[in-house]
Amino acid sequence: MFAYAGPNLPHDLFEATGRNAGPLTWNIDRAMPAADRWLESKFAPWTRSTLQDWADGALDHLEAVVFSRADDSAQRLYYYLCELRRAGSIRGPEPLVLDIAKSPRESSIARDEVALRKLAERFGVDEAALSVAILAGNEKRAASTIEPLGEKVCLIAGSPLPDARMHRMVARSGWSAVGRTLADEWQDAGNLVDEDGDSFAALARQLHARRLDTRGFFDRSGALTDVARNSGANAAILWLIEEDDTTVWHLPAMRTALEAQGLPVMVATRRDWSCADGIDTEIAAFLAGVAS
Amino acid sequence: MSAEPTTKTSGQRSRKDLACTAAASAYQKQFGADLKRRVVDEGEPFAIVQADTPHEIFHVMGIPIITNQWWSAYISAKQLSNHYFEVMAQAGYPKNSCKYCSLGLACTLANDPKTAPWGGLPKPTVLVARMTCDCIQHVFGQWADALGSEFFPMEAPAWEHKDPRWFAHSKDQWEQVYDADRIALAVSEMRDLITLLENRTGRKFDEAKLHYLMERINEQEGYIWEAAQAIGTARPCPVSIAEQMPNTMIPQWHRGSDWAVGHARRFRDEVMERIAAGEGSATNEKIRLMWIGAGVWHDPGFYQALEERMGAVFVWSMYMPFAGPQYIREVQGRPMEALASRICSMNEVLHLPPWMNGWMTSEAERCGIDACVVLLPPENRLSQSGTKITAEALEKAGVPVLMIDADMVDAANWDHDRMVGMVAEFLQKRGLA
Repeated sequence: MFAYAGPNLPHDLFEATGRNAGPLTWNIDRAMPAADRWLESKFAPWTRSTLQDWADGALDHLEAVVFSRADDSAQRLYYYLCELRRAGSIRGPEPLVLDIAKSPRESSIARDEVALRKLAERFGVDEAALSVAILAGNEKRAASTIEPLGEKVCLIAGSPLPDARMHRMVARSGWSAVGRTLADEWQDAGNLVDEDGDSFAALARQLHARRLDTRGFFDRSGALTDVARNSGANAAILWLIEEDDTTVWHLPAMRTALEAQGLPVMVATRRDWSCADGIDTEIAAFLAGVAS
Repeated sequence: MSAEPTTKTSGQRSRKDLACTAAASAYQKQFGADLKRRVVDEGEPFAIVQADTPHEIFHVMGIPIITNQWWSAYISAKQLSNHYFEVMAQAGYPKNSCKYCSLGLACTLANDPKTAPWGGLPKPTVLVARMTCDCIQHVFGQWADALGSEFFPMEAPAWEHKDPRWFAHSKDQWEQVYDADRIALAVSEMRDLITLLENRTGRKFDEAKLHYLMERINEQEGYIWEAAQAIGTARPCPVSIAEQMPNTMIPQWHRGSDWAVGHARRFRDEVMERIAAGEGSATNEKIRLMWIGAGVWHDPGFYQALEERMGAVFVWSMYMPFAGPQYIREVQGRPMEALASRICSMNEVLHLPPWMNGWMTSEAERCGIDACVVLLPPENRLSQSGTKITAEALEKAGVPVLMIDADMVDAANWDHDRMVGMVAEFLQKRGLA
């Protein structure tokens, strides 16, 4: 079995292997001496948990972990793990990287296709198996539904959330929360994959076009406006963690776009991913202010 | 949008032992004036590029370039960095956004010709960056929008062939070291860039000219590498990194030009003369130091501050020895591929294991390094990257390491005396002084 870490990954290909153990999970509410020893401060917090698990042998049951090149922390962690294994400092599964190119250029799409074929070869997946998995994946995509929300909806955007803890903070104020967790991002299989023609080429085009990662080329404030509108948001929280170095560049435009929609916006930057920095009190005060 | 700039610096100037250092600075000053005349006064097409992009293409086509890192250092040297960081904060960007690559964007967003160097940059033909981190495409994308121009991103693809001793083979076995498919991708992107430039400027690219330029660059970097090897073995160290850096980097901005080749030769000769005469950067060298990280552009005097007091000389920084393994390329009749092999991993080898730690521990041994100081910018993942693993490798090799939290262009958390004192205390604690 293998697991994966990062966004913008080929879930149809993973399913075709029959050995997909799903995404890595994290526990950041603990001491992590191995992470302190080898990781610098600006790495995404989940990487600390992963490195600690790796060093502790908690991932030894896996044969491999696939890291996404579409996320900077994920790809750097891949190199660190390779080196630490080479040096004998840790053991554990084989780190693999899927080289996702995102530039709006044909050569990048071709690069993605080559990367997919290489990974498929590593896992023994041929074109026929991938084609079957794409059909099954598309059926799931078509069947997915959106949970109904309450009357008062608060959109949480910015950095991916660690889990549902901020949703619960919002719920304590009598609101429904909409906001994607990191697990949501990683498990997002994306839009329908073209079922005609070469399966690897189709999957490469789908991966290249996806918008959920840190390296995609798209209008982030426009996309956020769409999410706010589609979710019927009545208020928004733009929440960015200290380690975020992507969405920070779009914060002014995102704030302007949401406010232009008439939404009250709370901006919280340089925050703690564990949410143990008083954000619960700030959210309660913000939503109380909106309600009044 | 912007208030009057305020300045804060505790930086000190560096001492110059070589005549060629002043010559390099004078050339760069004149180049800056000429560049301003061409792109600002005369409206000539130009490009804004990151340091790790194929400058050679622009040189071959005669298109002026402004390198983002050079422009950042220029802004910083004008004591304007804190002002522009404040401008970004006022515009709603969090204060912990990466600073090294965004000073130019901040200067443009400030839209204040009275304050900006050169009155601010005009619209370039294109902006080019390799996507080596998560923030650069966003910085360059917004900068391009603000200037009404276009951003041309280049991929920084994953690198699965991991050779810790890459530096021993990169000159002639570059296709194996850097992966043939990564080189092919970079060549494809460079051809797209050339097409864009030809269409926008009317200037033509000539591959034969590139071949000639590559050979000239090999000659230039050969002189620098020769001097770097001599500095590694010479006792005392003839030239501190405070002078190694400008004499390597200024010619590198103009790589392959007659001036750059000639200057590299002159620098090599002056280094050799000092070695032959037994002249050292310090009068009584006792401790040989390594500096890992970008230069502290706001305090160049930092590097020489402990030379006389403790005999501690900064012998090594990445810029000069990098000339050998990462610039020199046997062209092998394929100049585009040879160039691609130079740029497709320029950042990776400096910031990712196993390349970073492999090279730097080898360099520490080659240069007889006694201790190492590592710059750890708190808000820049790319610049932090690889430092802890490298520090551990150096310690394992017997080289004590001090890591300091500071930024190469942000003087706000830098105090000259405090930083010098920190290094002195570290050397004493580790029994070196």
